[in-house]
Amino acid sequence: MKNTLKAALLGIAFTGISSYAVAQRDYQSYEQMTQRLQKLSSRYSKLVSLTTVGKTATGKEIWMLTMGRDNSANKPAIVVAAGVEGTQLATTELAVQMAEQMLQAAVLQDSVRELLQSKTFYIFPNLTPDASEQYHEKLRWERTGNAQPVDDDRDGRMFEDPFEDLNKDGLITMMRIKSPTGTFRPADADPRIMVKADAAKGEKGEYLLYTEGIDNDKDGKWNEDPEGGVQFNRNFTFDYPYFQEGAGEHPMSERETKAFADFLYDAKNVYAVFLFGPANTLSEPLRYDKAKASARIMTGLLEKDAAVNEQISKLYNTATRLRNAPRVAPSSGDVLQWAYFHYGRFSYSTPGWWTPKMEPTQDTTGGKSPLAASEHADVNFLRWAEANDVVGTFVNWQSIKHPDFPDQVVEIGGLAPYVKQTPPVRLLGPIAQKHFQFFSAYAKWMPSLQIVNIKSEKVDGGLTRITADVYNQGSLPTHAEIGDKSRWVQKVKVSLQLSDTQKIVSGNKIQLSNALAGGEKFQVSWLVNGKGYVSINAQSPMAGKQSKEVFLR
Amino acid sequence: MKKTILHIALLTSCLCGVGVRQVKAQQTAAQVFRAAGTPQNPKVTVNWTRYYDYDGLTEICAKLAKAYPDLVKLETIGDSYEGRRIWALTISDFTTGDPERKPAMYIDGNIHSNEIQGSEFALYTAWYLVENFQDNKFIQELLQQKTFYILPIINPDARHNFMHQPNTAQASRSGMIPLDDDGDGLVDEDVPDDLNKDGHITFMRRKSSNGRYVVDPQNPLRLIPAKPDQPGEYELLGYEGLDNDSDGLMNEDPPGYYDPSRDWGWNWQPNYIQPGAYKYPFSVPENRSVKDFVLRHPNIAGAQNYHHNGGMALNAQGAEDQNTFTREDNQVYDLLTRNAQQVIPGYTYSVVYKDLNSAFGGELDWFHGARGIFTFSNELMSPFLQLDRKVASGEEREAEQQELNKMLLLTDAFVEWKPFDHPTLGKIEIGGFKKNFPRAHPGFLLEEDAHRNMAFTVYQAYQLPQLVIQEVNTRKLSNGLTEVTATVANNRILPTHSSQDLKHRIERPDYISLRDSTVVSGMVLESAGANRGKEQKLNPARLEIPNVPGMGSVKVRWIVSATKPNLLVEVDSRKGGVVSQRF
Repeated sequence: MKNTLKAALLGIAFTGISSYAVAQRDYQSYEQMTQRLQKLSSRYSKLVSLTTVGKTATGKEIWMLTMGRDNSANKPAIVVAAGVEGTQLATTELAVQMAEQMLQAAVLQDSVRELLQSKTFYIFPNLTPDASEQYHEKLRWERTGNAQPVDDDRDGRMFEDPFEDLNKDGLITMMRIKSPTGTFRPADADPRIMVKADAAKGEKGEYLLYTEGIDNDKDGKWNEDPEGGVQFNRNFTFDYPYFQEGAGEHPMSERETKAFADFLYDAKNVYAVFLFGPANTLSEPLRYDKAKASARIMTGLLEKDAAVNEQISKLYNTATRLRNAPRVAPSSGDVLQWAYFHYGRFSYSTPGWWTPKMEPTQDTTGGKSPLAASEHADVNFLRWAEANDVVGTFVNWQSIKHPDFPDQVVEIGGLAPYVKQTPPVRLLGPIAQKHFQFFSAYAKWMPSLQIVNIKSEKVDGGLTRITADVYNQGSLPTHAEIGDKSRWVQKVKVSLQLSDTQKIVSGNKIQLSNALAGGEKFQVSWLVNGKGYVSINAQSPMAGKQSKEVFLR
Repeated sequence: MKKTILHIALLTSCLCGVGVRQVKAQQTAAQVFRAAGTPQNPKVTVNWTRYYDYDGLTEICAKLAKAYPDLVKLETIGDSYEGRRIWALTISDFTTGDPERKPAMYIDGNIHSNEIQGSEFALYTAWYLVENFQDNKFIQELLQQKTFYILPIINPDARHNFMHQPNTAQASRSGMIPLDDDGDGLVDEDVPDDLNKDGHITFMRRKSSNGRYVVDPQNPLRLIPAKPDQPGEYELLGYEGLDNDSDGLMNEDPPGYYDPSRDWGWNWQPNYIQPGAYKYPFSVPENRSVKDFVLRHPNIAGAQNYHHNGGMALNAQGAEDQNTFTREDNQVYDLLTRNAQQVIPGYTYSVVYKDLNSAFGGELDWFHGARGIFTFSNELMSPFLQLDRKVASGEEREAEQQELNKMLLLTDAFVEWKPFDHPTLGKIEIGGFKKNFPRAHPGFLLEEDAHRNMAFTVYQAYQLPQLVIQEVNTRKLSNGLTEVTATVANNRILPTHSSQDLKHRIERPDYISLRDSTVVSGMVLESAGANRGKEQKLNPARLEIPNVPGMGSVKVRWIVSATKPNLLVEVDSRKGGVVSQRF
């Protein structure tokens, strides 16, 4: 009832948006996405389940797909999390398309069925739905905060300086004001794009540049306190940006971040966390830095983990063949660094999709002039959009009357909101496919515990000495090196199970090991008194388990 | 679930049972000769020379609220992990204004479960204030102007465990969420065992010529290290216990373990950097409730988190490498400390990061760093309170504790060594200090020290900002305009915003408003003498002042388009309270 009403209202809202907004970019609202996920989980109910880890301030569910056959909580797992930044709608679409492809393939291909038999995938399509929903609202602007009310500029007034849609096109873009004290100028390569004038190079600015709106609170800043919220990808504990805009009252203050972290802390089987997010540590790995890794408060990957990052990055580049990725470093309070430094798991991030780099052209047909490649991301984006018939990406500068600048020339225009993060959905299918291939390859490399070289030898006095090697058959370690420091990562555990008539004379019943690298082994031995069968159990929630029986004569 | 119901039942019973009527003291008021500073005839009689468990404290809280409805409000701010309610008392004169709008002093206790006396100290403060309200003018004025928020037990599950289960004096500091401490996937599977069933976890020792301890010739209860050339008699085998999980280690996975005071959202670090950290800031449910309570009460300007021991006042900031201290704040802390040194003998003043091991995610650090609140953490049971009132250290201190036990407690605090047949260690002896000594005050010291610490927190509360509108002057200008100048002073040593608060704009500015509809312009003057200032263009009738400094004042000016302006001035400060006056 309520949902229908909402959908109806949404429909009305849509009619109000200019043609820019809807055409071609068919990204889904929360309601639509919810239905799609529900359909998916009922269609493939034997392979996937849809659950929620929590609710947002507006009551939206934070959905999680659990892919894998029965007993998924007890199998090594990979987390794939998308929508960690409210503007990155393509990441949600990528994650869901990948899940759909995997499920379809599992019906047809033994290898994929086996993958879902041996591993679990926890897929979070959208971790900040209250922010991303702004894309579908009547006024479209690039919202990153959730719906938790926050006084962004900490002045005691809430939401006192929002954006205003001055040209009434349903989009918040930029405004430029012709001014002798301006610091921006049109880019040489494309005069629509405004760039900072470099005084050191003798360049002169002509424009002031602000976001579209009015200085409602007359503090000389434009739109510094709009509606919302705390940013999901800025609210985690590692390198938390205290008192910064969008960071929240304290680390993990938000429903979304807490729900996500609470689920993961309980999920002992999570081996690695992959993010479809702003940072990129897959095209280009994070490097080992001894000073950072050995500081009391570590800020760099441990040596073995950095080596694994390099290994995985090679796998990623080979499997996906995606080139020219933008270099984006991890950021303060983000999920990526939390997952590694504080959750103790391998963690990686890729935006998944990015604007392909436009090659220079010598094409002069029809009066076109040859173009050099542009280093400017916006210029490159507009050229790509044009070459691929993506419409509605730019609002041409048009002058308006602005109450804050009564006697100056003020123009509204610029890139339409979200366009750089929302390529036509049809382009994402092949990219999802490439990531599916990457994850399949990755899963094959994951660790697997085996008990080998079991020996039992008679010792004087009716005792038996049992020795065995616990061996990691995979290509990757049983857990990250940082996991050995973390209380949230269970070590490799080997135990000997005895009956009442058997007794350990020497050796501990439970033996623990730090991370075993791919191909590495760990020797255990016991001296046992008694007869009959005993069993050796080797287990790690992230690397599986094996049990072998030994007969004592 | 069951427990909660039990607590509700309990609370109800004391609300309508015995506690409702004035509890009759054993002697009539006429038979009592009043000792200075002690209430003559308290409505709620409490024996402050002993400790109370969670239910006992709950009952005292309920009785106070029932006996003094105009001074005490009792509320629950959330449930503990095991389902106990966490209590908050609001103490203020409710007949003289909204307690939420008066500058407030926050006090809590017992975050570390073995540091039990913090609860009695906090609750003594509540009791003392209300039982003396009738007769004491200073307290009457204090509660007219200020509010106390007192949360006596913020880790109730572990207090209950500490008192009712076998424990040592040192452990546990944890809460009761079971955790895997040794990485084997099992939780709390090897806790200490009360082998001799006396309710205390004491020590195990074994006679052995290879041991390096001998019996102290001065005190047969005590073991001392053998001299380098002297043969030993005993070896020490640790706390009473068994290797419950057969992993070769004894007592390696005790209850918890996490440290509730490493769980706060300031400079938080994980367990491998800061031992005791749990999942993330406020992942301990009790702390999350307390944090939410503090955020709901932005009038909190001062705080005390009781700990022990050492007799120090720790002020924030706890962890290294984030310097949040300024000269202005230090001056305030120094003035308050001077009082503490006078009223609490043996009190030494330390800054956590300088003088103790630095800690990340500490409670007082969050109060100071994230909320800009002037915060102390008194470490109770000063060594000074021991036998000879000298600060002893190390081995000497232990010897002194033994002497105190012998001479003042007549050996009540010690479990005498007795033989025991241990399944893996063989013939051993078990004995040592009980869990109520030496970290908890012996009864005869408890009330005295509670009083002294109460006096210090009352002094801090008195020094919370006190704003007054000192004067309002008018001057006629041309064109029918009038200039109105107002001076607002703070008569106490705490500012309305600490330096940390100002630096990060933690709390909103203070507002000074002129209730005149014709305000044309408004400005905040640079200083009392200056005739210039900064104009506020938006909403000039309500001027925004970053801070009213301690023992200082601010001057503001309006221009109004009236010859007889409405001279009603209002001051509204989150940590400094609300005042309004017509001139």
